[in-house]
Amino acid sequence: MDTILSKYRSHLVKFQPLIALVLLCIGISLMSDKFMTVDNGWNVMRQISVNICISVGMTLVVLTSGIDLSVGSVLALCGAITAGLLKFGIEVPSNNLFVGFTLLGAILAGLIAGSLLGLFNGWTVTKFKVPPFVATLAMLTIARGLTMLYTKGFPISNLGDSFAYIGTGWFLGIPVPVWVSAVVIVIAVIITQKTALGRYIYAIGGNESASKLSGINISKIKMIVYSIAGVLSAVGGIMVTSRLDSAQPNAGMSYELDAIAAVVIGGTSLSGGRGTIMGTVLGAIIIGVLNNGLVLLNVSPFWQQVVKGGVILLAVIIDRANAKND
Amino acid sequence: MINLMKKYLQILLLLVFVLASCHSTDTAKQKKMAIIVSTLNNPWFVFLAQTAAAQAKSLGYESKIFDSQNNTALETDHFENAIASGYSAILFNPTDANGSVVNVVKAKKAGVPVFCMDREVNSPEATSQILSDSYSGCVSLAKYFVQTMHKKGNYVELLGIVSDNNTWARSKGFHSLVDYYPGLKMVAQQSADFDRNKGLEVMESILQAHPDIDAVFAGNDAMAMGAFQALVAAGKANHVKVFGFDGAEDAIQAIKDKKISATAMQFPKVMAQTAAIYADAYFKGKRDFPKKIPVAVELVTYDNINDYIAYGKK
Repeated sequence: MDTILSKYRSHLVKFQPLIALVLLCIGISLMSDKFMTVDNGWNVMRQISVNICISVGMTLVVLTSGIDLSVGSVLALCGAITAGLLKFGIEVPSNNLFVGFTLLGAILAGLIAGSLLGLFNGWTVTKFKVPPFVATLAMLTIARGLTMLYTKGFPISNLGDSFAYIGTGWFLGIPVPVWVSAVVIVIAVIITQKTALGRYIYAIGGNESASKLSGINISKIKMIVYSIAGVLSAVGGIMVTSRLDSAQPNAGMSYELDAIAAVVIGGTSLSGGRGTIMGTVLGAIIIGVLNNGLVLLNVSPFWQQVVKGGVILLAVIIDRANAKND
Repeated sequence: MINLMKKYLQILLLLVFVLASCHSTDTAKQKKMAIIVSTLNNPWFVFLAQTAAAQAKSLGYESKIFDSQNNTALETDHFENAIASGYSAILFNPTDANGSVVNVVKAKKAGVPVFCMDREVNSPEATSQILSDSYSGCVSLAKYFVQTMHKKGNYVELLGIVSDNNTWARSKGFHSLVDYYPGLKMVAQQSADFDRNKGLEVMESILQAHPDIDAVFAGNDAMAMGAFQALVAAGKANHVKVFGFDGAEDAIQAIKDKKISATAMQFPKVMAQTAAIYADAYFKGKRDFPKKIPVAVELVTYDNINDYIAYGKK
């Protein structure tokens, strides 16, 4: 009897974010008949696609018991780099040199920039043993400053229709950003579930010294993980920029908080080693539905912040209670 | 131990080197201006700060821009640092009309004149205030709004950052007139944080709840542009009128292209230049400055768009 009950409970814990999402959706649809429509469904999916990319990267970092606070600034910088290269290219006035960028080239440059910024985070964390909180906090400021320097504080707008397709287009009846986030999710699930890298990530977060003794190259794994987080921030940055047809210097402000919230609501432990990509995706959907629902119901902006904070707190309290019972 | 000392020595040397390279040539006699602005995370304020710096430079003064990051406590630090490091005037864009009063008083006590740009400080201690009148700017925008809407229709208001006093000055100015017309009904009032992406996303959600709106009033141009993009995606851009505020480059172009209806033009260039010119006059002995100079906010529509460029008049 006891084993059946505990088995039942462990299943319940696994589906906890899903149950929360279903309850939330039922609640909102009872109060507004505009919520459960196909159009609104696509809206929510499109709106959360950026947060999904970022929070998937964040999940990998958190699984190694790290954290990445720089995601929002990295997003802004990579978006700005892509937009800037696409629009202006690189000019070297002294040599009379001009390098133009194709759409693909500019996007690639943005992604490479993201991976390098992430790699730098990983490098400071592993090489100098800087706590991830501090290392990425520093990067948060540095990347924001670099964004300001690169854009001179002004948005880079009017980037052309083909670039706008990434953020606003449809492919096979589904918005392009949703495709992008779906691909990101699939790859991340494969990495965490099917590859050696995935097993190492969980091992490091579970017990770092034991993993070291068992021969895992911890520095290498961490550098890879932070680089992935950087690339995914860049993906988010390119999508936001494309959607707005404009790289805003203040893009991505406080996105790290939304990403951490998605990770935490999804049941990933901030001390590492425990959690899933799908949990995070559900977490991101919950936040997206909440944002959308509160606006649909025309809840006052003051109350919205209180409600969102309350939901995050509640999610963690339930998660903690379950962890204790395990 | 020796290793540790070596390391400290290295760091110390590095610091000395960095500081030495930062320190510019002797400017003890030359007067300098500190430009303290509420935020640099918004192109409008970047423009304000840079124009002030450029004007100071053309008058022959060195200047430095301080970013308060919308944080009155950080602004206090900037004031203390600016006073301590010998700046002789402060060109000031306050974070908060009441919260910034102490800083202005502090500067006055230290004998440093303060010239406010754009935003007001509720203190007579400021040497002179060159102010953008957001409230009456929104009243004239509202007048145009009522007229183009023929006194009836459903509209949405996008507020800026709800803790920012500009947000409410604009909103109140708008409602002071529009609320007299019962035919004009506000079906949703939501915040989009002065942010283009938020403007887009919030508008997408609002359109689900209220697909039949006729107009959007946004507290700044970035949100107006975001809302316009949401309307385009929903195929409603042709019959929903969008109204912004600021006179940013994108919005001026959008009015020219008949995408959005109107914006309220502020004049950051005029305000920043006047502040720097006043500081120069102060150094040369002038003391009788007008306490407050309102700089009118002008309505920009398709009809007069050719008179304007981003952040100013042609």
